[in-house]
Amino acid sequence: MLGQYATTLTFIALGAIFAYSFYAVLIAGQLSLGQAGFAALAAFSGAYLAPAPADVGDVPSLLIAVAIGMSVGALGAVVLGLPTMHLRGVFLAIATLGFAEAVRVVLLNQEWTGGAQGLGVPRVLTVGMAWTALALVAYWFWRMGRSRYGRALEAIREDELAARSMGIDVGRHRLSAFITAGAVAGLYGVLYAYYVRLIAPNDFDFVAAVEGLVTAVVGGSTMFLGPLLGSGFQTIVPEIQRAVGVEAGWIRPFLASLLLLVVILFLPGGLASLIPRRTRMPSGPADDDATGLAGRRHPEAGQPVVTLSGLGKEYGGVHAVRGVDLEIRAGEVVGLIGPNGAGKTTLVNMISGLVPPSSGSATVLGTTVGSTPVHRIAAAGVSRTFQHSKLFNRLSALENVLVGAHLVSRPTFLRRLFWLPSARRDEQAALRQAARCLERVGLSELAANRAESLSYGDQRRLEIARALASDPSLLILDEPAAGMNHVEAARLSELIRSLARDGLTILFIEHNVGMVLQTCTRVVVLNFGEVIASGVPDEVAADPAVIEAYLGSAEEDADGTGARAGATAAGAGDAPPDAVANLRPGASGTLDTPDATRDAT
Amino acid sequence: MRTKLHTVAAAGAAALLLASCGSGESGGGESAAGLTGEGSGESCTIEGEVPLGAVLSLTGAAASYGESQQRGLELAASELAEQGGVTYDLTIEDDQTDPRQAITLFDEFVNDGVSLIIGPTLSNAAVQADPIAQEAGVPVLGISNTAEGVTEIGDYIFRDSLTEQAVIPQTIEAATEQFGLEDVVVMYSNDDAFTESGYEAFADALEDQGVTISETITFSKSDTDFRALLTQAQENEPDALVVSALIEAAVPLVTQARELGIDVPIIGGNGFNNPRLMADAGEAAEGVVVGAAWNSASDNPENQAFLQAYEAEYGSQPDQFAAQAYTGLKLVDQAVRANCSAERDSIQEALGQIEDVPTVLGEFSIDENRDADHPAVVQVVENGQFAVLQ
Repeated sequence: MLGQYATTLTFIALGAIFAYSFYAVLIAGQLSLGQAGFAALAAFSGAYLAPAPADVGDVPSLLIAVAIGMSVGALGAVVLGLPTMHLRGVFLAIATLGFAEAVRVVLLNQEWTGGAQGLGVPRVLTVGMAWTALALVAYWFWRMGRSRYGRALEAIREDELAARSMGIDVGRHRLSAFITAGAVAGLYGVLYAYYVRLIAPNDFDFVAAVEGLVTAVVGGSTMFLGPLLGSGFQTIVPEIQRAVGVEAGWIRPFLASLLLLVVILFLPGGLASLIPRRTRMPSGPADDDATGLAGRRHPEAGQPVVTLSGLGKEYGGVHAVRGVDLEIRAGEVVGLIGPNGAGKTTLVNMISGLVPPSSGSATVLGTTVGSTPVHRIAAAGVSRTFQHSKLFNRLSALENVLVGAHLVSRPTFLRRLFWLPSARRDEQAALRQAARCLERVGLSELAANRAESLSYGDQRRLEIARALASDPSLLILDEPAAGMNHVEAARLSELIRSLARDGLTILFIEHNVGMVLQTCTRVVVLNFGEVIASGVPDEVAADPAVIEAYLGSAEEDADGTGARAGATAAGAGDAPPDAVANLRPGASGTLDTPDATRDAT
Repeated sequence: MRTKLHTVAAAGAAALLLASCGSGESGGGESAAGLTGEGSGESCTIEGEVPLGAVLSLTGAAASYGESQQRGLELAASELAEQGGVTYDLTIEDDQTDPRQAITLFDEFVNDGVSLIIGPTLSNAAVQADPIAQEAGVPVLGISNTAEGVTEIGDYIFRDSLTEQAVIPQTIEAATEQFGLEDVVVMYSNDDAFTESGYEAFADALEDQGVTISETITFSKSDTDFRALLTQAQENEPDALVVSALIEAAVPLVTQARELGIDVPIIGGNGFNNPRLMADAGEAAEGVVVGAAWNSASDNPENQAFLQAYEAEYGSQPDQFAAQAYTGLKLVDQAVRANCSAERDSIQEALGQIEDVPTVLGEFSIDENRDADHPAVVQVVENGQFAVLQ
């Protein structure tokens, strides 16, 4: 019974393996078409170099060829990946496509490959061997999914910049995903060669590459069963058409393409999106001690955390930040305020390593900012949120926070492959850490929800939870209260103060001046890229330079507006409806400290 | 949306179920009974329908050949149906010019119990798929495989198409004699199995005739602009251009050569043997020499009947692929009637003994290597038609 379908089943397995080589990079958000080239290199070198089945037996011959092919594929990926890994999206696709074409043309013009007429290969592969290989590949990606490595790849796919800020070495992860793709494509090439008896360079052309990509996308590129489903779909559609008696000819590819269109339109996540996804929750008490997490040593209170001297940033003649000298010491809560365009975000981007300074120097937790990649600065203990939420949208809230715990959790993928209990313990520890952070910001109930489905305020809090998960020494919050109502803002203020009580050093940008004055131990005011005031909240609020920066020059705007806005800012503690309205430059006369400010610090 | 997804899923599952049932019914394998009849030759009568499978490239890169072949087969099938005595159940399937489909189809035809498989269109698919039929003991008749070694796969593999190695030496010999060739430029597309093997045959034949190849120029089968390459060829002042290309490249190459003032003879391979050469290249095609397995201008009665019937049925001129396909099915009928049996082994034996049968292709025999043996023809384009080069 099964024997009758052996050919079809074998092609489903082969197609799925090829699709996995696309899945391997799609999961990290990379669009590559070079897999056809890797498969071609692997197929020809494997078939050419491996001993004949007649000499050493079928299985040993195939295994040797597979070993050669996978090595060649992986090596090809390294050679291609090193110069191209900085390319994104369609540029990477074009570069890798160019590689695949180059491989095809070179193989066509080689004597030993038989040129266009191809290379004869004995048929060794059976349906059982093909499915064994497929099972191993699928197992690999299944175990990868819930590991620290797998989560890091997904995070890179969702938001590369945020992933960097969580301490993920994006370049290394992307390259390793690419090498995996090369090895899997190599496996496909060799298995294909040992099944179809004759391989020609044209079997691995542009059309083949696109077909592999389509198979992976139709199946679903975010779930490990996707490529298998996609290959089943792609292989069975012609069979169904034959079975129901659709006449051979153009109508068949037409119907198949139409069906493909329907699937993509109604299932943008691919066939695998029909399979419900289970979000794993931590088992065991959430208040358990942080065993299994890599501990981090925080600087003692009073030690310098950030030291900036003469720091400046220039964008084509525009000085966004200039000559900033600032020192932040452990245990401080520093509020950074200033009118729009004052350079606040540029300054924290420099501190967190996202933007290299054009002049001056900055040392953050012992690392020199400028030449150090973002993930190294994150590893030193800097964690941040963004002015516009940069969450991993398609991941659950809990998974977002798990990615945040990247730096303090241990790699688990290889141990998960062998089901080692220690991997499970480490994963549980990371889960508990994530659950604790979610609880801290009050999002425990929404842990299983996708990040993109959360309300705006919840997204801001989730970002804070994610930033907290790495157990940072310095937490940078970029306008955390933006878009929050006054109740939420008050709760956020309380959260920040409680974090400060735990000894965390915090630097935050906020337009809600009332909240800043309430929360901070020190306020730094920027205007036109320069620090115009720095000190305890009371002093800063009374500083005439600060008032002028917010008011504009007194002559321009001397009517009653200032007084009214000042009243609302002063009343923040009593929470009138617009108490947390963003303070607009020129909209306030005085910056009174609300009554409730001083007691917390 | 949720219900919609479930509907799609359910429909998909139903379709899968349908598919498995569908192939389940047909996959049982035909019983051997009813395939042997009484009488012999014309009087042979077989009670059951004789199942035949054909694997052609009806879509994809080789679709233009597959369509011609389909027409040739269908024309022959309808003529055989009128003749009576033996009823053929011919299933034509499309391999989409994809070796995976060809392999799958051969597997299915073998499981379905066909008496013989015709095809596949391309030689590389034949190398990949024919072993399946050979292992199962199902005879295969290739109707367009011209690469060397196809019939070496086994004793169940036959073909009625002359190899390039059979046609091209005759072409070169005749051209050398006619034009007194001393040195030539050879051009071929090196990314196609068919044209590359054609080139190899040309190179061997030219060497045998003592003609110097002053330059060999390669291009891609998808190229359409050959002006630079032709100028390069022109600099050698050759006595002729020898070209191995598919018709898609042949038409622009010939046209552009004439535009550039290259008026030496152009000698083409099997890919040139297509009415489109005259239709699309027009005046420029005049004087092009083409070696072919089928002489379209032949006045033997089988050929004249074929030309008329084809024209009446499809309203256009047949090409060599149609002629070979048509001949193929007629030869299968011959083999079935020889022993009045459509058993696989009986057909295999009878095919091997085909000798001096009058066909569209001329007096036709299958040689000891199961390859076709019939006169090739060297043609030249004259007044928009192929004429025999004399």
